[in-house]
Amino acid sequence: MRLSWIFGSSMEAHHLLAAYVAVWLVQGGYAAWIAWQWVRVGKELHPELSLNSEEDVES
Amino acid sequence: MRRSRIYRSVGVVWLALTLAAIAYATRLALVVAPTEATMGNVQRIFYYHVPTSMLSLLFPYVNLVASLFYLYWRRRDPLRALAADAVAIAAAEVTVVYSSLCLLTGMLWGRAAWGIWWTWDARLTSMLLLWLLYVSYLMLRKLSSTGQTQTLAAVLSVFAAIDVPIVYMSIQWWRTQHPAPVFFGGPDSGIDPSMMPAFGWNVLGWAMWGVFLLMFRYALERRRQESEQEAALKAIEAPLEMAQ
Repeated sequence: MRLSWIFGSSMEAHHLLAAYVAVWLVQGGYAAWIAWQWVRVGKELHPELSLNSEEDVES
Repeated sequence: MRRSRIYRSVGVVWLALTLAAIAYATRLALVVAPTEATMGNVQRIFYYHVPTSMLSLLFPYVNLVASLFYLYWRRRDPLRALAADAVAIAAAEVTVVYSSLCLLTGMLWGRAAWGIWWTWDARLTSMLLLWLLYVSYLMLRKLSSTGQTQTLAAVLSVFAAIDVPIVYMSIQWWRTQHPAPVFFGGPDSGIDPSMMPAFGWNVLGWAMWGVFLLMFRYALERRRQESEQEAALKAIEAPLEMAQ
């Protein structure tokens, strides 16, 4: 089965595409926000490692 | 090997498996699963809507259990209580993400299938209430400055979790526009066996993604707690050093 119908002009195609894209965007956006905070808090916690991507923080 | 590196490796492998499962599940949902006879292709929203809905009713219980542990440990073992609190906030955020998507995909499906974006029936209203409760939980944590924020949030979590069985049972307790649950919903529930692989893989993929988000957010909260403790220690030590 081809997927071209999903990009069609009918309401059902629009809504199906919107639902799938919304799920990917919200889930991906939330994961990206956690990753960004992870890096930001890591720099606050260990500023000496901010230039070092290896980040061996545990002793 | 250091423990943090082991955790990181497990996380990367878990993420790779999760993304592969979601990609496969999405292919099954969009390409392989048969077109539903009555609604046509828009019924394929089901493969994302139902797993996100199921998981939005599961993560509140993770939040509840962690909150109960927090309330139990907060005086007995403060370090364990902090860990439980980190799990609770992670589960609350994941609940908001999944319940937002449940409402959003449901509205997109409802407009195409019923001709309306929203109706104030028991299932939709109780789900909206669940979303509002966990948004309130997060706002309380963000905005409160009483010093008892974690305890207040843990108590709110106990009340919020009461809405979960109401959401699930709403279809059976009241007459609703929303269809019966896929499983354990009575004689009119269930799906065609040919749709099961797409449904099952989507449940698995999005559940694995939810666990990944939960663990990643938990790790972030633990890192924040460590950062706050370090800042508090520095604030105590600074005047002592100046005095010497």
